[in-house]
Amino acid sequence: MTTQETKVPVNGNGDVYDAESIKVLRGLDAVRRRPGMYIGDTDDGSGLHHMVYECVDNAIDEALGGFCDKVDVVLRADGSCTVRDNGRGIPVDLHKEEGVSAAEVVMTQLHAGGKFNQNTYKVSGGLHGVGVSVVNALSARLDLRIWRDGKEHFMRFRDGKAEQPLTVVGPAPSESDGSSRRGTEVSFLPSVEVFSMTEFDFATLEVRLRELAFLNSGVKLTLTDLRHVDPRTIEMHYEGGVQAFVKHLDKSKNPLHDPMIAVAGERDGIAVDLAMQWNDSYHETALCFTNNIPQRDGGTHLAGFRAALTRTINAYANNSGLAKKAKAALTGDDAREGLTCVLSVKVPDPKFSSQTKDKLVSSEVRPAVEGVVGEGLDRWFEEHPGQARTIIGKIIEAAAARDAARKARELTRRKGALDISSLPGKLADCQERDPALSELFIVEGDSAGGSAKQGRHRATQAILPLRGKILNVERARFDKMLSSAEIGTLITALGTGIGREDFDPDKLRYHKIIIMTDADVDGSHIRTLLLTFFYRQMPDLIERGHLYIAQPPLYRAKRGNSTQYLKDDPALEAYLRDSVIDEGAVFVTADGEQIAGRDLQKLVDRARSTKGLLEWVARHVPIRIVEQAAVAGALNPEILSDDARAAEAAGYIAKRLDSLEIPAERGWTGSPAEGGGLAFTRRLRGVTHRHVIDGALIESTEARRLDERAAELQATFQRHGKLTVKDTEHLIAGPVALVEAVNRQGRKGMTIQRYKGLGEMNPEQLWETTLDPEARTLLKVRVSRADQAEEVFSTLMGDLVEPRRDFIQANADKVANLDV
Amino acid sequence: MACPICGKPTRPEWRPFCSKRCADLDLSRWLGEDYRIPAAGEDEPDDDAPAPPDGEDEP
Repeated sequence: MTTQETKVPVNGNGDVYDAESIKVLRGLDAVRRRPGMYIGDTDDGSGLHHMVYECVDNAIDEALGGFCDKVDVVLRADGSCTVRDNGRGIPVDLHKEEGVSAAEVVMTQLHAGGKFNQNTYKVSGGLHGVGVSVVNALSARLDLRIWRDGKEHFMRFRDGKAEQPLTVVGPAPSESDGSSRRGTEVSFLPSVEVFSMTEFDFATLEVRLRELAFLNSGVKLTLTDLRHVDPRTIEMHYEGGVQAFVKHLDKSKNPLHDPMIAVAGERDGIAVDLAMQWNDSYHETALCFTNNIPQRDGGTHLAGFRAALTRTINAYANNSGLAKKAKAALTGDDAREGLTCVLSVKVPDPKFSSQTKDKLVSSEVRPAVEGVVGEGLDRWFEEHPGQARTIIGKIIEAAAARDAARKARELTRRKGALDISSLPGKLADCQERDPALSELFIVEGDSAGGSAKQGRHRATQAILPLRGKILNVERARFDKMLSSAEIGTLITALGTGIGREDFDPDKLRYHKIIIMTDADVDGSHIRTLLLTFFYRQMPDLIERGHLYIAQPPLYRAKRGNSTQYLKDDPALEAYLRDSVIDEGAVFVTADGEQIAGRDLQKLVDRARSTKGLLEWVARHVPIRIVEQAAVAGALNPEILSDDARAAEAAGYIAKRLDSLEIPAERGWTGSPAEGGGLAFTRRLRGVTHRHVIDGALIESTEARRLDERAAELQATFQRHGKLTVKDTEHLIAGPVALVEAVNRQGRKGMTIQRYKGLGEMNPEQLWETTLDPEARTLLKVRVSRADQAEEVFSTLMGDLVEPRRDFIQANADKVANLDV
Repeated sequence: MACPICGKPTRPEWRPFCSKRCADLDLSRWLGEDYRIPAAGEDEPDDDAPAPPDGEDEP
């Protein structure tokens, strides 16, 4: 930088020229001897591309001065690159000190050129002013063409040496608007003695030129590739500045807020131009530029921006009360999650850490940027409270996620045998140390946990009781959750650790994890919570088949000395049916046909399935009315659309109903109802009752399936049959009656206990039914089923209370049968 | 399949989530007791109870 200061004053003429040119050549020789110091790496392509950037930067400098609006870059087949602008053209007059044209001085002297004169460019990209002379030094050939004052000037250099002085070769060509062309064109062929890699990469140049197009609104840049059979040109021209740049960077992302944040201002002679926007991704994209040159490694401008951002975010979160929701203090990293920003500063005489300008070190930039950005952000947040809330919400989530990852590491490190034994009276571990032989029962409730601890096989079965914490959300509404302590205990007991980086399924201490909850809605909710936890945070365990659901019985049926445990309602009904058949039950139809044994079993099962359909159709009508309608074959839209046949069918059903009543309570009348339905009326003790089987119900799938069974129902039940068991006789007028008679008869002499919870079972019963590996049934949780838990859970967690309630009712069974 | 946190497509390495970020946020909610389900307390009206009599005439 100080070569010019030591220069000998010009005091001769011809000799001076020679002496000076030797000195200059020595300067360029220095560049060739150590090109890396001036242009960057000559092997990996970065130095090669820097050659283009130096030329383009000079053109952009003209644009910054307002003298140029078009820059063309052309890659030629001979390996050369041409950079042309429509600026003023490099001065062509004789340089007074050097005795040669100013253009030649610029091309052959380090640290020459207009950039060192602060009056020519207030702001300039080139730091040392070595730009284009370095390009010349490292080129085998360089052609310089200048259009200025209506003339075209030309000179050629080889290995940095001028072949002849700058010469006028003709008039400047006319532009399309009739004016004469202005500007500078540099075509250089990089020296193969300097660069081991001499092929320009189109995409690399495109990225840099696009940056320049964004940073210099209104300047049109083109990049043309003539190296291939099909020439290719792209044009880059943007008006929106850094905002357009951010929009471009985020084109495939969803912005979190609109409009984006834009801040522009000047302080202490430093101009700051910033655009930023948060999107729904989790990555930060921050590009910063000093005088149009990118700093890959940031520097004082980025530091100033980050300081202002962190301070503004924290101040806003605190002042607005949003910070109270945060589980962890908000850091700068949290604030920058999903943030895209472009920061452009214009600094006179900037200082970088290296010639490649990857990092800005000018200390005066930081307070200037921090001040301008801080004020701008404060104002934007004040003016956009809704958007600000959204942004802070995302940052709070980022902080929560970061904090959870930290906690996960802590929880994971905490594990170990010592810690297991120190768990506060919760886990009753097994003696076995081989995970393949060990089981962990996760048991809902303390009393059930107590029974399980007593009833278990101590050697291989561990018990972990979970209570589920109850929280009064609002009057008459309670929520249940797993406390963080319980989750922590569970993780410690499993031994796997937690979190995406720390979880290790190979460290699982039990190869069977068995969830054991009550068979009621609460139990199914706890189970859904646990399944969802495993599915989301430990999916490996489900995929490896380690997760099971216990099947505690719902009923205990006792007759004499024999005890039977039954897991659900269908199991109970099947048990009752079999005991009735074992007692020698016979169904006798009106025709005298006798049905018993396996045939009776089938008949009862069929009746039960028919009863299910009837119950669906009979939601607003007594089921016996629908039952008789079905037996009569009247659930048929075709019959009911014909008034005469409908009336006949209604009358027939009324008669059948009467036949089932005691004489004093007869008097049913039937008639077609509007909309293809059936109405039945009876007057009893001075009150008239009317029941309508709705036409829409008769159109339903269930009613159609009943109608398909009409023939078989008539064959069995058209006239009343009898179920005879020992000396008891039941009159059977339809499938519902048959099922009810079987249930009634089966319960005779039997004690049936319904377990409301696991806690009602004593330790022995729990062992016999649920814990004993020889007797129990376990359901293995599969991935395809666990995502059902996820679906149920997501709906349970939904914000809308009413749909949520409906869904719980409808899905209680689904959760129960999650894993069949 | 959609990420349970943000709804973006699930990525196999983060399943069932789309990213470590969403997996971590989910863990934060488990550890922070944010995941709650309605408890079927006695105060909840029982929807399975029979509807008010609408002309039941059974003897």
